Amino acid sequence: MASDVQALTSPVAEVPLSPRFGWAWWVALVISGVLVLLLGYTLMSVVLVGVGVWGVNIPFVWGFDLINYAWWIGIANGASLFAASLVLRQHDLRTAVNRFAEGVAFFAVICAGIFPIFHLGRPWLFYWVFPYPATFQVWPQFRSTLTWDFWAISTHAIVTSLLWYVGLIPDLATLRDRARRKTVKKIYGLFALGWRGSVYQWAYHQRAYRLVAILVLPLILIMQSTVAFEFAVTLVPDWHETRQPLHFVATGLAQGLSIVLLVAVMLRWGLRLERYIDDRDVDLLGKLVLASALVSGYLYIDEIASAFLADPITRQSTLTRMTGDYAGFYWAAIAYSVVIPQLFWLKVARQSVLAGVFVGFSIGVGVWLDRFSIIIGGLQTDYLPSIWRDYTPTIPEWGLFLGTVGLFAALVLLFIRFLPVVSMFETRHDEHLEKS
Amino acid sequence: MAEKLYGMIAEFRKPEALAEAVKEASRAGYTRLDAFSPFPLRDVAHLLGARTSAIPWIAVVAGLAGAVVQYGSQYWMNVIDYPINVGGRPLHSWPTFIPATLIVAILWAGVATLLGLLIILRLPRLHHPIFAVHGFERASEDRFFLCILSEDPLFDEEGTRRFLETLAPQIVREVPA
Repeated sequence: MASDVQALTSPVAEVPLSPRFGWAWWVALVISGVLVLLLGYTLMSVVLVGVGVWGVNIPFVWGFDLINYAWWIGIANGASLFAASLVLRQHDLRTAVNRFAEGVAFFAVICAGIFPIFHLGRPWLFYWVFPYPATFQVWPQFRSTLTWDFWAISTHAIVTSLLWYVGLIPDLATLRDRARRKTVKKIYGLFALGWRGSVYQWAYHQRAYRLVAILVLPLILIMQSTVAFEFAVTLVPDWHETRQPLHFVATGLAQGLSIVLLVAVMLRWGLRLERYIDDRDVDLLGKLVLASALVSGYLYIDEIASAFLADPITRQSTLTRMTGDYAGFYWAAIAYSVVIPQLFWLKVARQSVLAGVFVGFSIGVGVWLDRFSIIIGGLQTDYLPSIWRDYTPTIPEWGLFLGTVGLFAALVLLFIRFLPVVSMFETRHDEHLEKS
Repeated sequence: MAEKLYGMIAEFRKPEALAEAVKEASRAGYTRLDAFSPFPLRDVAHLLGARTSAIPWIAVVAGLAGAVVQYGSQYWMNVIDYPINVGGRPLHSWPTFIPATLIVAILWAGVATLLGLLIILRLPRLHHPIFAVHGFERASEDRFFLCILSEDPLFDEEGTRRFLETLAPQIVREVPA
């Protein structure tokens, strides 16, 4: 006899357990799989030929690799920050979006991690940044931001993946118990680690989960600031600014929220999860996206204002970003990440699937253009006029970028296929609290 | 019956019934109890005396240790063992040692807490007697269970079964060891 509680979460559990998943999923997986192959190809070309296959050259030593790194890390940090603050506030929205917000953060960190490793030129030696007792008796230089970044990326990847997995354990146990095929049962059983649902286990699990969620908050702020420090500690006039960390944290949060929104509306529509991700959740998410876009807008105004207050060389290089060869990127970034999200003042737009996808996508594009504008446009008029030149990404660089987009999409597709996208135990818990 | 038991288990349909049953059982003097539920039940955990205060201590101790190890190793490597003069900047440039120190403190605290959680819960574990109970798979879905362990001093097969039946459960079953 199926009870209310069972009826409550079985649609979520049915998704990973169903033997078939429809052709659209396969088409999407094949497309992203092709992009993953492209990623493999472009990474191999960097390994075999060297960074010469990229269009980078002095002064643009960081081209697409750092643009995309900063972009992916923004998604990861924004999504993590959002997920962690929902857990802490015990907000209703957490039940609906927390699981895949953490997933999005983890997948984005994987994509982000590829770039700094491969832009080293000799990626197989990346472990040199780790302080191990090497036979040539040198240690990493900890006064460099690049070593901070090593700790930041690896910590983010380890902590978010562990947090995500520990949060999944009780739901994996549900899948184990509901699975009909023996092999499927065994696989989920193995990953559920023998979870029994004893109230002792629950008590410890909840305490540890919330505690690590608290730890994620400062981690994200420090990490996103570390990314910004990489620019701020250089002597390049447009980058050497104390406002950089704030700019990266704020635009990164907008970006993370927009990707969470994008995935939320697509999941809701694609997997018919309207009951778990309801109208109120999407509405609230839309309002958060709008608020974060307004904060980004404020920071763009701050950027313009501080350029006019700065010394002449800094002013010139910031103005070059706004009026020079790459001015289009600067203004398009503002249009996409600040102006278009203003659509969300309308309730109709916040609740429409199409507008959600449009705005989510638009902020993603906008922040990418902003990173391009900082990393390329910011170097246009450096101190040495003899190196004033342009930068054009090559085909392998585009391949690398599209490849990580494909990798991200493939990971999201596999996640929605094999794991519960909405926390089932949290849904049961919420329902119980509502009743009592 | 010669076969040794792990305990006696009663199934309930509502969390309130489980909470009531736990109260009754401890009133009757049973001390070795375990309860199972598809979602966290804070009041039942409280009744059973689950104390989770070890978790924040793990985080604090591990976090401090991580911070000390990271700051200390940065200091030792860059100031003592391999000093490099970069543009006349001080070797012990403490502000630049801070970001990695904070990050690694969080790394240690987070990893220790989550791995410590698994160690405290004795997971992973391939099998447990409770899984042999018919119908227990619904403990991860919509049913609530109270188990009185056989190691309880008051445990006695007949008596405990009769006691559990007074709590109006769906069914009472034996848990083979």
